[in-house]
Amino acid sequence: MRLKLRQIWRLPASWPLFQADDRLLMILIAAIVGICSGLAAVILNRSLTAMLEWLHHYRHFWWAFVLPACGAALSSLFLEKIVNEGAGHGVPEVIYAVSRYGGLLRARSGYSRIVSSCLTIGSGGSAGPEAPVVMSGAAIGSNIARFFSLNDRQRVALVGCGAAGAISSIFNAPIAGMVFSVEVILGEWTAVNIIPIAIAAVAGTEISRLLQGNQIVFAHRLFNIGLIDIAASFGLAVCCAAASVLLTHALHTVHTMSAKTRLPFWLRAAVGGCAVGVIGLFLPVVLGEGYHAVRTVIDGTFEAGLWFVGLIALAKIFATALTLGWGGSGGIFAPCLVIGSFVGLSFHRLMVEMWPAVQWVNEGCFALLGMAGLISGILQAPLTGIFLIVEITGTYEVILPLIIVSTISTTLCHYIEPASFYLRELVEKGQLLRPGTDARVLSDLSIGELLETDCICVPKSMLLGDFINIVKKSHRNYFPVEDEKTGRFLGLIHLDDIRPYLFDSQLYNAVFVEQIMDPKVDIVSPGDDLIDVLKKMDEKRIFSMPVIAGERFLGMVSKATLLDQYRKELMVQTSH
Amino acid sequence: MAATTAEGGNVYKPRLFHIFRNTPFGRESLLQSIHFCKLLECSIEIYIPQSTRFLMYFENDVTQVDLDSSYLTAPDTAREHALDLVTQAGLTPEFFEPKNYTASTLPDIPTDYDFMCCPRSISDLSSKIGLGYIGPRVRKIVQSAHFPVIITNGVFKPWTSIAVFFGGSINAVKSLKLGLRIARKIGFGLNLITQVEHRKADHYERIIKENHLQAEVDQHVQHWFRFESNNLEENLYAIPHDALAVLGAYGHGLIKEIVFGSKMEKIQSTIPNNLLIVGPNFTSVV
Repeated sequence: MRLKLRQIWRLPASWPLFQADDRLLMILIAAIVGICSGLAAVILNRSLTAMLEWLHHYRHFWWAFVLPACGAALSSLFLEKIVNEGAGHGVPEVIYAVSRYGGLLRARSGYSRIVSSCLTIGSGGSAGPEAPVVMSGAAIGSNIARFFSLNDRQRVALVGCGAAGAISSIFNAPIAGMVFSVEVILGEWTAVNIIPIAIAAVAGTEISRLLQGNQIVFAHRLFNIGLIDIAASFGLAVCCAAASVLLTHALHTVHTMSAKTRLPFWLRAAVGGCAVGVIGLFLPVVLGEGYHAVRTVIDGTFEAGLWFVGLIALAKIFATALTLGWGGSGGIFAPCLVIGSFVGLSFHRLMVEMWPAVQWVNEGCFALLGMAGLISGILQAPLTGIFLIVEITGTYEVILPLIIVSTISTTLCHYIEPASFYLRELVEKGQLLRPGTDARVLSDLSIGELLETDCICVPKSMLLGDFINIVKKSHRNYFPVEDEKTGRFLGLIHLDDIRPYLFDSQLYNAVFVEQIMDPKVDIVSPGDDLIDVLKKMDEKRIFSMPVIAGERFLGMVSKATLLDQYRKELMVQTSH
Repeated sequence: MAATTAEGGNVYKPRLFHIFRNTPFGRESLLQSIHFCKLLECSIEIYIPQSTRFLMYFENDVTQVDLDSSYLTAPDTAREHALDLVTQAGLTPEFFEPKNYTASTLPDIPTDYDFMCCPRSISDLSSKIGLGYIGPRVRKIVQSAHFPVIITNGVFKPWTSIAVFFGGSINAVKSLKLGLRIARKIGFGLNLITQVEHRKADHYERIIKENHLQAEVDQHVQHWFRFESNNLEENLYAIPHDALAVLGAYGHGLIKEIVFGSKMEKIQSTIPNNLLIVGPNFTSVV
């Protein structure tokens, strides 16, 4: 009875209504996930606003440069000592969990990044709240899936729902949330995923609208775009790609530099925060998420000159690298929007300087295009860039140059950096396993599943004559040789190895198998990755390898069995 | 994975995962694991941690294990010490090196082992590693793992019999099956322990029959302790001091767990024996 009650409550997938098709179940749970992740985004947004307002009164003091240092240090202490997170950016961890572990994420990630990023950004660190809230939403989705004992595929979809709900809520942009989740987090467009993700995006957006009002992040403006502006957007795409690559490299270099120092982690974060604080003394626009500056740029009321605007863009790049690279917590979405807007503004002013007679569109339009170019370049996700900018500005008129800037910027960035900022580390470590790819299929198989255990082991002191009798009984070509006393694996005999002795019966009682075996055979361990095993087989042109654990022979692994299982696994993975 | 073949060639050996701590407490714990492996013919895989935390991804859960800093004691001699102890016992150890990392200081530990050895707590100071306390991480591992978890006592003591706690629950049936398999494998005597709670005496026999275990119980069980009076803690004195206690854990719902507490935790805080704990997700066989 107790088990039945638990099944009803905790195993909704077993309810008769959902047994035949789980889409309705996924829609219901996606709505819950969307609401929860939307709430997480609202909480972060409100906390950030409160903290920024509270610290605003202290910004004019000469010592205000230590505020980002304190925030970053507290943030890293919170992550390392209080919640024991083992911090990263957040989004790569979500992608890693999706690609390798069916979206399993720790429950603590549901709140940890909200607190830590609030401390970092609220104190003036140059970072954005979007990646932390994606992490929270994804962790909420994962843990709701765990609570309801859903399977891997359903859990992955709910992780996507969490990310979509969070992005939709924080930007009041449901389509961008959906697209980001599918394009960046899941990496596969399937109907079964898109439906719950869409529902979660709606739920997240609605929660945000209920609690914060239906506001567009950046005020809507009308732009009259001409052909010349569309032509110029090609040049802007190149600038955006250059800025994206510079930001990626700066983040990577600063992070590597920071990792080499022997300072305690909290002091490293404080050093980075302090450096940002110093930059902020001269260029306050680089502090925090920086949306206020973006609004003035889009309105066309940012008065600084061309070179100063360029300097701000550079300063923001380095401030972001210092904040995140030295251990602060936050994401790169907001910095990308700020940097992109200044890159767009610089480009517009340069065009005006060079061709003053041309009737250019308002500079705010180029700021929007720059924002899309940076987001698309850094994330290598053009659709996310396009839909995000359309939704957060409510400006559909810019769609044509927006598409050009986003796609060209993505292409150029991909040409220079084959993996996006989020995926770079995973790709370098070979840990990005997107659905349906060779690496993913192989990673879901193990040596244990492929083990062929019908080989006959022979002792090293066996005579050739006795061995030939064994060969007659076996249907295998390989015969492992073991030490009869210790059971230790010594080598392997292939049928070809005994061919020279077969027709000389005098040798039957004179040759021992130890003399025929190949002792230097390539072996595999049960824990080896199949990608490496297959690579070794291809390189050395071998079709079977012995699996050895603790010097004992366990069985053989062959290419034929591997490919057979590969096909079955591929069918399972692509059946939905 | 593999099993014994008709030709008698290759036998799959169950694997025990042991997190080594290069301290006297850690040595005792490893000696317990070695004893277990020798009796059950398991291979031992030893992990010498490089950082104080790691993740274990189970089928439907992820557990972060936070070790205390004593697990990082003298890393330069840790491997040598572990190797000495294992080779002296005639076993060949495998040393586990993490391949995958969720974050740079957060390695992923595989969960496809057949047994795992934990001290009573792996996240607090060694002063707390005694009776009366089970760490939250050990609890989480027991709850999520498909393998049974060996919880060792402070000082190495070879066990020479098996005591299975049988209360009639699903987990208790699993632990009885495990106890019987161990008894069958190594030939040690098995005692059944039952605290009769508001049920008729034949209730427990009926469950054993329903699970087709009667013949094995008749063959391997030396004595069935059925306690009808006193509370469980008092009756635990009857458990042989040198028995491996096999018991199920966390088979109840969350509310019952919070209101009444875990019986396994009561038992582990009372008896100093080595424990082999079967969690709700236990599926593997010996």
